[in-house]
Amino acid sequence: MRRLAELSGLVAPVLLLALVGVVGTFTSRSVQFQFRFALVMAAIVIALYVFVGSSGVVSFGHVSFVAVGGFAAGLTTVPEALKLSLSPDLFPVIASAEVGNAASLAIAAAVGGVFALIVGVPLMRLSGLSAGIATFAVLVITNNVLRNWEAIGPGARTLSLVPETTSFLQATVGVIAVAALAFLYQRSRWGRVLRASSDDPAAAQGAGVDIYRQRLLAFALSGALAGFAGGLLVHLLGSITTQQVYLDLAFLTLAMLVIGGFRSLWGAVVGALLVSGINSLLLTAERGLDLGIGEVTVPTGTRLVTLGAVMALILLFRPTGVTGGRELTLR
Amino acid sequence: MTVLQTLVDAVALGLLYALVAMGIGLVFGVMRLVNFAHGELLTAGAYALLLTNDMPLAVGLAACFGAVVALALAMEVVYRPLRTTTPTTMLVTTFAVSFLLQAVALLAFGARGRNVGVLSELNRAVSIGDLRVRWVTLVSIGVGALLLTATALVLARTDVGLQMRAAAMDATTAQLLGVRASTVIRFAFLLAAVVAAAATVLLTVQRPLVTPSYGFQLVIPALVGVVVGGLDRLVSATLGGFAIGFATAVLGDVLPADGRVFLDTALFLLVILVLLVRPGGLFGRTRAAWERV
Amino acid sequence: MPDAMLQIRDLELRYAGVPAVRGLTLEVGRGEVVGLVGPNGAGKSSTLLAIMGMVPPYRGEILLEGRPLAGRKTEAIVRSGVALVPERRHIFPELTVEENLRLGLVGRRSRDGASDDLDRVAALFPVVRDARHRAAGVLSGGQQQQLAIARALVARPDLLLLDEPSLGLAPAVVDGVFEALAEVRAGGVTILLVEQRAQFAVGFADRTHVLANGELRLTLSPADAGDSERITAAYFGA
Ligand SMILES: Nc1ncnc2c1ncn2[C@@H]1O[C@H](COP(=O)(O)OP(=O)(O)OP(=O)(O)O)[C@@H](O)[C@H]1O
Ligand SMILES: [Mg+2]
Repeated sequence: MRRLAELSGLVAPVLLLALVGVVGTFTSRSVQFQFRFALVMAAIVIALYVFVGSSGVVSFGHVSFVAVGGFAAGLTTVPEALKLSLSPDLFPVIASAEVGNAASLAIAAAVGGVFALIVGVPLMRLSGLSAGIATFAVLVITNNVLRNWEAIGPGARTLSLVPETTSFLQATVGVIAVAALAFLYQRSRWGRVLRASSDDPAAAQGAGVDIYRQRLLAFALSGALAGFAGGLLVHLLGSITTQQVYLDLAFLTLAMLVIGGFRSLWGAVVGALLVSGINSLLLTAERGLDLGIGEVTVPTGTRLVTLGAVMALILLFRPTGVTGGRELTLR
Repeated sequence: MTVLQTLVDAVALGLLYALVAMGIGLVFGVMRLVNFAHGELLTAGAYALLLTNDMPLAVGLAACFGAVVALALAMEVVYRPLRTTTPTTMLVTTFAVSFLLQAVALLAFGARGRNVGVLSELNRAVSIGDLRVRWVTLVSIGVGALLLTATALVLARTDVGLQMRAAAMDATTAQLLGVRASTVIRFAFLLAAVVAAAATVLLTVQRPLVTPSYGFQLVIPALVGVVVGGLDRLVSATLGGFAIGFATAVLGDVLPADGRVFLDTALFLLVILVLLVRPGGLFGRTRAAWERV
Repeated sequence: MPDAMLQIRDLELRYAGVPAVRGLTLEVGRGEVVGLVGPNGAGKSSTLLAIMGMVPPYRGEILLEGRPLAGRKTEAIVRSGVALVPERRHIFPELTVEENLRLGLVGRRSRDGASDDLDRVAALFPVVRDARHRAAGVLSGGQQQQLAIARALVARPDLLLLDEPSLGLAPAVVDGVFEALAEVRAGGVTILLVEQRAQFAVGFADRTHVLANGELRLTLSPADAGDSERITAAYFGA
């Protein structure tokens, strides 16, 4: 019974994600895209949650793992000739690499994880706001390098013609896999130790916990998941530019996490789906919303204002997030 | 003489960043809040100048200061519920407010950059010996130094300044002595706004093209400077702002032409290095209390 | 007692659900000096912080001159004439002695007569004049304690709360502090004195309550000052 109650912390997020996946298939084509996009956003936010939720340290840097994952998955699935036409200076290994959809996702995860591990070795010594700013620095550097170093990617150009393989099935299965790994990690001894140490660093240090190692592990894992999510993203969009995986996405995903409640997996999922949902609704409204009494169209640009206002209001008046940072369980 | 040329430009940019950094530091001191939306104060000021382009200079300046102060006081009210939340929520909320304000600017003025013409005659160059500098550089140095000094005097000499310093050092004890948190916080926002408005005027002369993300683009490096300098004290935060502006200008000059696109990389690698070596900030004295989240 | 300065009735304080003070009832009459002693963690500081409005009561009430303090902010309580000399002094070490004193003025109801009061505390504690422009952090422990008391006095409080003024001071220095406090008392200020070293409080206060484990155990009069056995028993006994 206890095991079942513990597992129920995973059941609710998985059911909700699956529900979104199933309901989405019954909608119109353009709305379908919104649903799949929401699922991929959820994957990114869960990846972010693995680190932020258990360490209590803010990271602006996770979108750089999404970025390298996205570019890795993209670059390994488009034909060599296309790559060389975008960027003739591409390293031969990257230019010639061509694999299938599944392998490209695995590569995305690996690249994201390794990159996070390398970055984490120095950075995880920091905490608090300096850690936050350092991860921000990683985001800026990653973007700057990706944008200007044409030996590793298309530079400032758009990498297009990426196979659009992130179907409903791939999006749903992918995000559920990410959620399951996040859950397994948070139930594991490491996950629990890190969370306890972020609640009470002094006590953890007294108990001999090596916070640095634990943080590094969480950072690398969440980097791998973020890279994987980046792979899902590029296969959803069919193209990618460096600006798509930069400040806006970093802020949006962080806001989703905090709005949902950054201390629980349930919060991460709810935050991502809620904000995506509001965003899609507003997007539809900008195009014209049929309310049965004739079409209502809101002026272009109101979407961002409304989205910003809703996010600010939730954060101001529900500072622990809409879920209060708790898991939804049977208990 | 190019060394001197570089130095003069670097000092001017450093002072501008220092003003922005000081505004962030003032608010952080009394409220422990890093205000990402500080940049939107600059944006508001810039759009106020834009809207009054054709009017007399005095009207433009009044509009700029009025808009910035009004927005800052509104922010103070909006941020009140944040006083009791976690640093993470605070940070993300101010980010959301910044996002919202940029969206409003986008809706109102569009994404296209628009030109502010105020005081553009300051862009003329003047020769001092072998040195050729623009007037605005000299004015920036003068006004920047003046504002920093004036703020320091306000903090040192006035009662509310003393209360602000006390609240920044030990909020609980200040409260026990009867210092009103709301008074010092409001005053901090006010001071930050006045400084931001002045910085906006100088800035629009040098970079007249105003977009919705005008201030945001400036506040990011300034904020990085604040943390690199040391957030726990106003002096170190301001120095950090200066350092980042100075370093940006110098790096821009010394990096080879084809390496200049990697300026951000060089700068932010430096930032990471400083944080690793001195987590409490370059000019901070110890590991700061806010280190622990 | 019709003219009560401070009344605490059935006060219970909790931190994260754990009680720190239970069922505390005590009264301090105008012009009285009341001591509150007890071992570490007895709840003494918490009681003073509750009076200042920094710790909200879980149960019970606190009245100042007959009016309940519930819901009033610290800044308002300070301005109605209560000043605290906090545990471990909490002066501002980076500010000058004079600036520390000026911060004491913040809690005054009016600025009238402020300079007279500054002169008076300077007479009482010469160090605050002699070291006016020095950083408060460089003062000795005893001098810092004097500064903390002086800072509270310039607010012109009717009720002075003292949290362990003897903490960390050599006995001779403590004597000096208590001599000054005797003058403060002579000036008509009501005092609630918290001490861990009971011998200092019992001899000085009109009455001294012993608090242990969050509850009142016993009340002592100055006559009990020599009776260390009784005090010790109250500290550790049932
Ligand atoms: N901020 C706080 N958070 C949680 N518990 C607290 C807090 N402050 C005090 N306590 C607890 O409340 C109890 C009473 O503490 P308090 O400081 O009032 O004792 P005290 O009598 O002043 O002790 P001392 O003589 O050591 O100063 C203790 O058990 C303490 O651990
Ligand atoms: Mg105590």
